[in-house]
Amino acid sequence: MMPKGGEVGMKTAQETSRVATTKASSPAALPDMEGWVEFARCAEEAGIEGVLLSFSRYEPDTIFVACAVGQATTKLKFIVAYRLGLMQPPTFVQQINTLSGLIGGRVSLNIVAGSSAVEQRGYGDFLDHDERYARAEEFLSVCHSFWANNGEVNFSGKYCRIEKGKIFTPFQSADRSEPEIYVSGHSEQAQHLALAQASCYLRLIDTPEKLRPVVKKFRDNGVEVCLRLCVICRPTMDEAVSAMRALLPPEEIEKQERKILASSDSQTLKDALLAADQVGWMNRNLYAGLVPFYGSSAIALIGTPRDLAQAFMEYKEIGVTQFIIAGWPKLEEMMIFGREVLPLVREAEQEFHAKAQRKNH
Amino acid sequence: MKFHWMLPKGGEVALDGRQTAREAARYRIESMQSTSPAVRPDIVGWTHFARHAEAAGIDSVLISFSRYEPDPFVVACALGQAVSKLEFIIAYRSGLMQPTTFVQQMNTVSALVQGRVSFNIVAGSSSEEQRGYGDYLSHDERYARAEEFLAVCNAFWRANGEVNYEGKYYRVEQAKLATPFIGTAPEIYVSGHSEQSERLALSQGSCWLRVAESPAKLKPVVARTRESGLGVCLRCCLLCRPTREEALKAAESLLPEDARESTTTLKDDSQMYREGGELKSDSYWPEPWLWTGLVPHYGPVWTGLIGTPQELATAFREYERIGVTEFILSGWPEVETVDVFGREILPLINQS
Repeated sequence: MMPKGGEVGMKTAQETSRVATTKASSPAALPDMEGWVEFARCAEEAGIEGVLLSFSRYEPDTIFVACAVGQATTKLKFIVAYRLGLMQPPTFVQQINTLSGLIGGRVSLNIVAGSSAVEQRGYGDFLDHDERYARAEEFLSVCHSFWANNGEVNFSGKYCRIEKGKIFTPFQSADRSEPEIYVSGHSEQAQHLALAQASCYLRLIDTPEKLRPVVKKFRDNGVEVCLRLCVICRPTMDEAVSAMRALLPPEEIEKQERKILASSDSQTLKDALLAADQVGWMNRNLYAGLVPFYGSSAIALIGTPRDLAQAFMEYKEIGVTQFIIAGWPKLEEMMIFGREVLPLVREAEQEFHAKAQRKNH
Repeated sequence: MKFHWMLPKGGEVALDGRQTAREAARYRIESMQSTSPAVRPDIVGWTHFARHAEAAGIDSVLISFSRYEPDPFVVACALGQAVSKLEFIIAYRSGLMQPTTFVQQMNTVSALVQGRVSFNIVAGSSSEEQRGYGDYLSHDERYARAEEFLAVCNAFWRANGEVNYEGKYYRVEQAKLATPFIGTAPEIYVSGHSEQSERLALSQGSCWLRVAESPAKLKPVVARTRESGLGVCLRCCLLCRPTREEALKAAESLLPEDARESTTTLKDDSQMYREGGELKSDSYWPEPWLWTGLVPHYGPVWTGLIGTPQELATAFREYERIGVTEFILSGWPEVETVDVFGREILPLINQS
């Protein structure tokens, strides 16, 4: 996860709570090229493949952040989050294709239907949750037609009508003719949209047992699964747990974050709050208790490098293929992950594949 | 006076400088084909041009919008990372995105290029192209919508709190964007020749952009626009040679082999292109230095200022006298022409 503007320089987790970054005075409103480029270069070194750039009215537009940081890096991919209903699909395709040509194809998309009705109305979007998904379905099928088709695109739907559409600038990438598309959300509509239009379903982490059937459904249909989580990794479990405790912010922040979570019409946010309040520790290493402070994506894997590597492998065994990870502080925790956890995961993956091969023979 | 330039198309800039005026012109004419390299971003060629433009004393480059080329917002953002002085005028059509999104993009780009950004709002000139973007409104309705679009945008740039708007084409409620525009608000160029475009410029723009015509013809229009507190910017091409004969010869070399050649057949819904199409051959020289001989083929933006450095400097001064404040220029080839402009014409303009 790409840190918000100003976050790379922040030393305490408390400064990076959503309540803080959505205040008018927050540096998250401004691009932070210095911090981002530092973070991106460290991510490349740590073996991270891509960064997710989040979209909201509180932050700079993701397409341009990817463009600018992409000029300063060479390997890192950018998963650009964008909401639908903000522009016509041909315009979106033209911007994404242009971006791909400027950063060597290192762009993929995370399509979000929008999680706050108030925020959507500020963008001129008055549809309700279910209709937003119906529109997203049309939007993405138009986008796919542009990417699949070198000729003209014709589409007549409920939300979108295109006649003889042509976008001359192609999607440019060494190995793809269109961007990878992550669709996120926990609702039935989100899952349906992901199955129909996405290359990868993105959702919050849960226990492997809970996720197994969901992951299977997607993998059986040729769609990958990516989990969003946080990590807190320390040499011992005790140290990891005290690091987690040190993240807890003042009560007032909790009250405000709870208000954001409670007013949302997103299924993802509702699910995460429920896990935090009713479950807490979801298993030995998975903790939901930070959600009321840091938002729905704060469900965290907590433990030693070995614990975490083992946990990642459990997800791999049930079919999960990708992870989008964050930690506190943003840069330091990523470096720990790259140094301590990732080599163990890579090692275990090799064993895993060798074992699978032996089984096949 | 401010002088801007058109950003060349992708692949148009010959890095070795070996390109005749005709070769450069043909590249532009053929850039609307899907096989043209102009469909791809060309950061190397653009950066090369941008550095020459900065050295020549050019203020901004206009980055055009069409389905035939990369998105100008994204291009401005990338090119803005490569050069530090040059500013960017982003051409955009209203009706392609929600105004809130447009403002968020504009503000983000402003922050990434240190405020060096303004925009040129275009209502769209081809109904076929517009329908390909999902836009089915007629010429006049497009202007009515553009009026609302800019009203919402301006509300964001004026307001510190939330924006509420309820119009025929746009409705936003309790809108807030955290990312501010760097500077006060972007300059808004409104272009077009129709009455609607003039009205739109007056009510929502900061500068009216139109194609160069004879000073005598423009004088009343310019005076009227300036009295309303707006700038006037003229778009034209430059053909400058040491002697008038050489300049005329270069102009002639640009004429198409096929007298019926036209790249404007799809431009069915623009007053400016309609006027260009109606030009008769006896009116190709409204002034001894103003030539419209290419307009019937390639449209009004191919109107050319032709002559020696001294003649062109004098022409610019005439426009200055009637109140014109800015120009957006281009030439064939772009790099060579911007060099000549900076080296030979601009010093003469500043002298007189």
